[in-house]
Amino acid sequence: MAEKIVVDPIPRIEGHLRIEAKLGENNVIEDAFSSGTMWRGIEIILKGRDPRDAWAFAERICGVCTTVHALASVRCVEDALGIEVPPNGRIIRNLMNATQQTQDHLVHFYHLHALDWVDVVSALKADPKQASAIAQAISPWPKSSVGYFKDLQQRLVGFVESGQLGIFSNGYWGHSAYKLPAEVNLIAVAHYLEALEFQKEIVKIHTVFGGKNPHPNYLVGGMACAIDPNRNTAINIETLSMVRRIIDETITFIDQVYIPDLIAIAGFYKDWLYGGGLGNYLSYGDFPEQSVHDASSLLWPRGAILDKDLSTVHDVDPRDMNQVTEEVSHSWYTYANGDEKGLHPWEGETSPKYTGPKPPFEHLDTEKKYSWLKTPRWKDNPMEVGPLARVLLQYAKNDPMITETVNAVLGKLEVGPEALFSTLGRTAARGIECKQTAGFMRHFYDQLIENVKTGDYRTADTRLWDPSRWPKDAKGFGYTEAPRGALGHWIHIRDGKIEDYQIVVPSTWNASPRDSKGEVGAYESALRGTPMADPEKPLEILRTVHSFDPCLACASHVLDMNGEEITRVTIV
Amino acid sequence: MKKINVIGLGNVLFGDEGFGVEAVRLLERKCAASMPDVRFIDGGTQGIYLLDYIESADSLLIFDAIIPAEYDREVYVYRDDELPAFIHRKMSSHQMGLSELLSVARLHGKVPSSIVLVGIPPKNLELGGGLSPAAERLLSEAVEEGRSILEAWTEDRVEKQ
Repeated sequence: MAEKIVVDPIPRIEGHLRIEAKLGENNVIEDAFSSGTMWRGIEIILKGRDPRDAWAFAERICGVCTTVHALASVRCVEDALGIEVPPNGRIIRNLMNATQQTQDHLVHFYHLHALDWVDVVSALKADPKQASAIAQAISPWPKSSVGYFKDLQQRLVGFVESGQLGIFSNGYWGHSAYKLPAEVNLIAVAHYLEALEFQKEIVKIHTVFGGKNPHPNYLVGGMACAIDPNRNTAINIETLSMVRRIIDETITFIDQVYIPDLIAIAGFYKDWLYGGGLGNYLSYGDFPEQSVHDASSLLWPRGAILDKDLSTVHDVDPRDMNQVTEEVSHSWYTYANGDEKGLHPWEGETSPKYTGPKPPFEHLDTEKKYSWLKTPRWKDNPMEVGPLARVLLQYAKNDPMITETVNAVLGKLEVGPEALFSTLGRTAARGIECKQTAGFMRHFYDQLIENVKTGDYRTADTRLWDPSRWPKDAKGFGYTEAPRGALGHWIHIRDGKIEDYQIVVPSTWNASPRDSKGEVGAYESALRGTPMADPEKPLEILRTVHSFDPCLACASHVLDMNGEEITRVTIV
Repeated sequence: MKKINVIGLGNVLFGDEGFGVEAVRLLERKCAASMPDVRFIDGGTQGIYLLDYIESADSLLIFDAIIPAEYDREVYVYRDDELPAFIHRKMSSHQMGLSELLSVARLHGKVPSSIVLVGIPPKNLELGGGLSPAAERLLSEAVEEGRSILEAWTEDRVEKQ
């Protein structure tokens, strides 16, 4: 019988995700099953509530995705009610969104994903002198002296010797799939810590425009912040210049730390081109330069790519009842008219019905229903969403900045565009995109200043705030591209209240179980064919799953005073 | 001047899991006026994004739902070294729980000099519906506990000045 590996939960990610992988000959993954083991029922909580409050509930679904859910939520309500956000509102939302993308990608790379490629313990053996020489050769970043790396290494030794690895306690240190020289590991660990420091700065932009952080304020009709260059109590010259400083520093950090690290690390792994998966990519697009309802004004284009064919970008319409659908043939839900038929979110149903084994269990019955995630499909196709989808769409459409950066990165690594269809390609796309969104931050900041200079201080249009002015019955679609991919909120408002609300999150696309035709989801597809060096230490599985930046529901995690094991890796 | 931060952790969508957030909100309503320098933070489940609020504090008060090693009280208060070295609360995308955040703060050399955790074991973690009656009843006790800790810290601060 084939060996089956279970990774549950996948460490260093949100919520509960379980991967079951079947190994074939030579420990190559033959088949994989992705299961969300926590139920997310925000749709039920929102029923009957005031649509103007939906964003505040939606932003609590997830630990990191607060702003993106808030944004998609206010957009769907505005879409339903026909509200057009004034320019400052749109620009500030774009600026906050670009900030979120940039920070999230940075945090993802260094604090979630890097340790799948970087061996922290190996860094203890590095020669600080050589590390310094390498760092100086790849980047002008000033923190690169011999003394800097020596000092860091000593702190790290103390940390490891104390026996409390903390952040580094879940690694498979010494695993043969780690390929970096000790010095590159040391550089990466240094930047891991620097990125942690730096990300604290970036979110200050959210505090400025969202009033507070975490959980910044959004508003149906625009943004709740007041702008007045001459008033102390409003966003003024002083706060704006702080924002400008943070943007400049962010761009420098990405250009001088993130991108050089990415290229340096990828250089040692360019023969590890597994994890490509479906080859189908979807994006709703984002960053409207005009109305959010005008898809042609989006800086990130809307569209789909099928079967890795970059010569054709397919049009996507999330309002078309036959395009985006969700079925539940392998999910613990029931539909009134059959679990196999996909339903558009405006017709969506959320009726949980758990039929899996009673936890704790050894393995799931993957022949039947095996996940709390539904199975979203675009025109019946399983799709990958996220940075790789967005970068490929822009690459296919010859966006000048993306095309130039992608070609430069591919050139430095001496690989062709086909290398993009891999785990490493996904990771590289995130870095390339982060450089782009940092540029967007400056772009929208400049736009905001230009617009304020014209004397326009309006940030919201609240003429339709009062429900007595709303239509009796209205439907709306709100979208954003979250850092981890396409996010859609679909609302049905009746008599001033939420009649129905459906959310399709990026990780549902990527982590979806099989559909009724047996077609696998993005994770399941990407894991197939990957050889494992040591099945008891499934580093390769983590690498590919993490490359999608998974983010399932924020489950109810309770503080464990007994210090229990969190990573259960068993071979059954 | 000593900086005091109060952070409430948890997810308000999941019953008693939102205890920490409800506690910090209530404590803020009671104390914000008399303690203008104390920062009250609804930390939600933000994990790594809370690092700044931890590292920037000299004294840190945390409210959270907890599973104690032994059930021998109703409201649990842990101080400094009593905090378990490994607290496996996985609350953010990057699975940074409190213990990981504290270990990062340690690596940065920015650990608050006093840390107190006030928590209760959750009774109900069902979606929606807010705190259970049991948690609701313990909320004011936990918040009073928090208030006296803050008072001790702020008095201490005045004495040192």
